[in-house]
Amino acid sequence: MNIIVLLKQVPDTTAKISISSGYMDESTITKWSMSPYDEFALESALQLRQNCNGNLIAITCGPDRCSKMLTDAAAVGTDKLIHIHHEGYLDSIQTQTLLVAAIKKFEGEVIMCGKQAADTNSGSTGPGVAELIGASCITHVSEVKYENEELIATRLNSLGFEIISTSPPSIFAFDKGVKELRRPNVRGIMMAKKKEITRLTPEDLGVSLTNSNINLISQMPPSEKAPGKKYEGTDSIREIVSKLRDEANVI
Amino acid sequence: MDYEALDFYEIDSLLSDEERMVRDMVRDWVDEEVIPNIENACREGVFPDEWRVALGEMGVLGAPLQGYGCPGLSYTAYGVICRELERGDSGLRSFASVQGSLAMYPIWDFGSEEQKNHYLPKMASGEWIGCFGLTEPDYGSNPGDMITKAEDIGDHYLLNGAKMWITNGTIAEVAVVWAKLDGEIRGFIVERNDPGFTAPEMKGKHSLKASVTSELVFQDCKIPKDRILPGVKGLRGPFSCLNNARFGISWGAIGSAQACFHSAKDYSMSRIQFDHPIASYQLVQNKLAWMLREITKAQLLAYHLGQKKDAGNWIPEHISLAKMNNVDIALEIARVARDIHGANGILDEYPVMRHMANLESVKTYEGTHDIHNLIIGRYITGIQAFTREA
Repeated sequence: MNIIVLLKQVPDTTAKISISSGYMDESTITKWSMSPYDEFALESALQLRQNCNGNLIAITCGPDRCSKMLTDAAAVGTDKLIHIHHEGYLDSIQTQTLLVAAIKKFEGEVIMCGKQAADTNSGSTGPGVAELIGASCITHVSEVKYENEELIATRLNSLGFEIISTSPPSIFAFDKGVKELRRPNVRGIMMAKKKEITRLTPEDLGVSLTNSNINLISQMPPSEKAPGKKYEGTDSIREIVSKLRDEANVI
Repeated sequence: MDYEALDFYEIDSLLSDEERMVRDMVRDWVDEEVIPNIENACREGVFPDEWRVALGEMGVLGAPLQGYGCPGLSYTAYGVICRELERGDSGLRSFASVQGSLAMYPIWDFGSEEQKNHYLPKMASGEWIGCFGLTEPDYGSNPGDMITKAEDIGDHYLLNGAKMWITNGTIAEVAVVWAKLDGEIRGFIVERNDPGFTAPEMKGKHSLKASVTSELVFQDCKIPKDRILPGVKGLRGPFSCLNNARFGISWGAIGSAQACFHSAKDYSMSRIQFDHPIASYQLVQNKLAWMLREITKAQLLAYHLGQKKDAGNWIPEHISLAKMNNVDIALEIARVARDIHGANGILDEYPVMRHMANLESVKTYEGTHDIHNLIIGRYITGIQAFTREA
């Protein structure tokens, strides 16, 4: 079974984001990482690959720098690495179109991704890809198991946990999973170094990127949080309780 | 505060991708598993066994050794591993130094094929801990006059003597012990259960508290004939191990210094005195600037030494300089960092006093600071000044 995990490289959560002429300035970001929900998808994909004796392919779409993330994925055991190379902005539909072309080329049956990317937060990749290839789509998944040739997913909804079974082709969009992405080891890192990354352009995939009808007008940093207030001594208990109860609504 | 490793000249950008991946792996592990547990380990005076397992699983033990289940990384990568481990604690780095450079290395370089196949895979995986017995109670800087001796009794060797200050001794399965056979220093592999061998732990250390330090005692200890290291005679054996360990220490000390710098910077930015952060005062900035200067110089020294080691184009004096300098400045940085933390600096809420106390040992072990000066003095003048006898 071909398992595909869709990975996105995002600014590390510790990276400082700066805005220049109304847009995020990528050149100032010193550390890029795999999007955290994608890490959960990758860990689950590694486990599924082991349980069904499948083949695990990681696909990413983006500029040159994304290759490093694919090598990181290889270091923990990903079998095949696909880099759809594109410099510059892509809207969600363009990204999904490219991903779908690659999924078809590599005959993906089970597709895993994060429920949203840590940078754009759009949350459209899983459902969008599912729509384009006509696969079932299960979102907010925390675990996927392979039992009796069926895929059994656990997802959290507002009432509690749901257990869902499905058969390929299926897409699972991961929430926080039950297991963090495994740590690589030296052997994995040395094998990853030798692993070839297949680089494809949109043309290689037979996709001509039409003009996007999405226009990113501007980006701005979130407003700064008001500084916290510190209370000391028993005299302030009454005030703290009333703030927690009436303002923060947490008790 | 997330750890931000000081790298003013972006020296890590000179590392290979593989070396950077190994760095990130070890750094993440230290953040997740070592930093939250180190103070407790120090208070209890134990080396957590989970750390042994994790080092084996990550595959970093015996980092630069090739074959026999060993990682086969560059010496530079080994240095980076030491640096990241020692950012956590010098005791943790000591464990890895002893395992890789002092116990695995002599078997790898001087052992028989059978010895290599038997010991190295299990030591690389962390299943077997190793230690290194050279120093004796009365012979520290002068190991050549060691008393421990081995006798050839026909079908076995008999070891008698005692070693002291042996990292990992009590927890080791395998001890590489240097002893005189017919007046000549030879290496022997002693196993934990060999009759006549005991390894009592030394207690009461104010330094390297999360590392096990032991005596090794041999009383008519019977060693099978096939446990002598066939490939080396004389002090060259232990000294070649020490060269590798000292190389790792020259990188490791930078990790301690970076940890102290990081803590001092954070603390001074948030500590308010006279209405302003103390980092806004010139005396504190002067200290921070000095720390950055010395760390950057130490990083350049370590990186260049790594390149020379990997190219095979080095002499022991190069290593002496880096070990001596980098530990020296790390200790001084730890002291200044402690000072910047004021009274808080003595608490285990901050890492600085622990690093400071650890580095006192690091300055002394693996060739004291003074002995390294004498090694360089001999290099400059051609005159040895270790002893009055010519």
